[in-house]
Amino acid sequence: MNASILEGAMPVSDAAPAALAQAALAQAALAQAARRARRSLVLMVACVLLIGWAVPWFANAYWIKTLTSSLALSVAAAGVALLYGQLGLVSLCQYALLGAGGWVALRAGHGLGWPFELSVLAGGLLSCVVGMLAGLPALRLKGLYLALVTMMMAGGFQVVVNVTGFPDGGAGWLGRVFGSERLMMPRPALALSDAAYFRYVAVWLAAVLALIELHRRTRAGRSWALIRRGEAAAVAAGVNILSYQTWAFGLAGFCAGVAGALLAGGVGQLDGRAFTAGESVMLFALTVVGGVYHWAGALIAGLLLRAVPALLTDFGVNGYLAMIFFGVALLHALITAPSGIAGQLMGVVDAVRQRFAAPKDKDAAP
Amino acid sequence: MIRVDDLTVAFGGVKAIDALSAQLDAPVCGLIGPNGAGKTTLVNVLSGLVSPSAGRVAVDGADLLGLKPIARVRFGLRRSFQTEQVVEDLSVWDNVRALLDHVPHARGEAASQVARALSHTGLLDVATVMGHRLNLFQRRMLELAKSLVGAPKLLLLDEPGAGLTEQEAGVLRRTIGAVHAFCGAQVLLIDHDVDLIAATCTQTLVLDFGRRLALGPTREVLDDPAVRKAYLGTE
Repeated sequence: MNASILEGAMPVSDAAPAALAQAALAQAALAQAARRARRSLVLMVACVLLIGWAVPWFANAYWIKTLTSSLALSVAAAGVALLYGQLGLVSLCQYALLGAGGWVALRAGHGLGWPFELSVLAGGLLSCVVGMLAGLPALRLKGLYLALVTMMMAGGFQVVVNVTGFPDGGAGWLGRVFGSERLMMPRPALALSDAAYFRYVAVWLAAVLALIELHRRTRAGRSWALIRRGEAAAVAAGVNILSYQTWAFGLAGFCAGVAGALLAGGVGQLDGRAFTAGESVMLFALTVVGGVYHWAGALIAGLLLRAVPALLTDFGVNGYLAMIFFGVALLHALITAPSGIAGQLMGVVDAVRQRFAAPKDKDAAP
Repeated sequence: MIRVDDLTVAFGGVKAIDALSAQLDAPVCGLIGPNGAGKTTLVNVLSGLVSPSAGRVAVDGADLLGLKPIARVRFGLRRSFQTEQVVEDLSVWDNVRALLDHVPHARGEAASQVARALSHTGLLDVATVMGHRLNLFQRRMLELAKSLVGAPKLLLLDEPGAGLTEQEAGVLRRTIGAVHAFCGAQVLLIDHDVDLIAATCTQTLVLDFGRRLALGPTREVLDDPAVRKAYLGTE
């Protein structure tokens, strides 16, 4: 920022000393806010990378695999949170987009022999395009109707993938193997072991969360905020609603596609039966429970989707009982905690921070 | 300068504006009329939210009706709503910056433009405060600040003083009065507060049932017996 935020705005000789002093104070406050924003971004990336680095030291092979899936699904949940938290749009086809991304990554990995990262990006980009197309009804539909239309799309994908299956190393456009052993998608050379792959997925998650945060804090985020405030207000501010909504759907689709590719890399192949329309509903519901206004919500959603059922199974309890807990948690989130578990946790963190900051302020007071 | 020729807006069988013609060329113009007179409809037509059935609208000689709503914003048209539209989870700074994102401005000038608008509206010291922490007066002033960035040509302010105390309305009045000197934009002010109109506007248009009842210097218009009867009431 310039030496003075009023520089160039008014001649210095014309500016009253009080206005200049006020500008200096405002500039200091803005600089502090910018520093705080940068710090929180770095903290977010550091937290995710720390999780990626630390978990393999403590977890056994079963839990590393489970938590790898959790992190991959967190990437998709981040996209769901973006749509719902930033624009209030309910998309119930994100798990189908995840499947589409996985399909492309498997096909590129097996058939074209692309490097893993390129396959992941190809999956992400395909889902980005499909996500944009899926978002077109959102220009006319909102709420329940949009949810229904996107869920129909998820149902359509379920039918298609049931028929075609996922590529598993065979020839032809579909890449299916018949009468011989299915091939596993090769992992990247630097992440061959399960522990290394967990860390690899954590890096992808940190990158995707950073991408979304950077969107939220800049022109796109401000435009989404205006659309969320009201379409008339957004139009009056010059926002091209079609472009910005489509971009949000594309970004959420990219997240889902990357998640699908990372899941495919973790397991080596994907099962068509796992991509039902119901999974999209579950992904949306648990993202709301996790929290759509804070990046940690996506992380929590990933854990709820995979780690909690696994934990119940570990305790000898039927994992399907988790559905009951999730139902109660969703009711809780909808009625009393719209910011989800992440929002509640951040509320506690803020309260603790203020409690510790208070004595300092008292000391500083004259 | 706003020029309206034979403007008609019909909602089904109801004519909200009926063959209205007017030329508004004062720096700050008032638009008054009883409830349902068509004031907000006229503002909606100007900003592109409502399409007229017939007629023409030009601002500074440019045909507005040929432009889409967001193109009108880029052209320099700004509007505020009766219900303020502050984004609760954006800071005051970002609320203003959000509008500047979509209008032409010189590269590297964004910060100084936002700061200048906030300084003019007295909001610079709350630039980092989130929208949900603002009181009604600050919200109203923020709406005005948003209108001042990106070389505006015409500000359409729909009841900007609604709900303000007398003292706050006084500050708003002075700020609106200084808009033309600040950025050269014309202001069309719609308000039920006749004192605000009288103190701020040099030219006023009065509508009644979608038709032009009076147009001229504000003092003369407010003294017009027909206006007093239709709008202010008679003793």
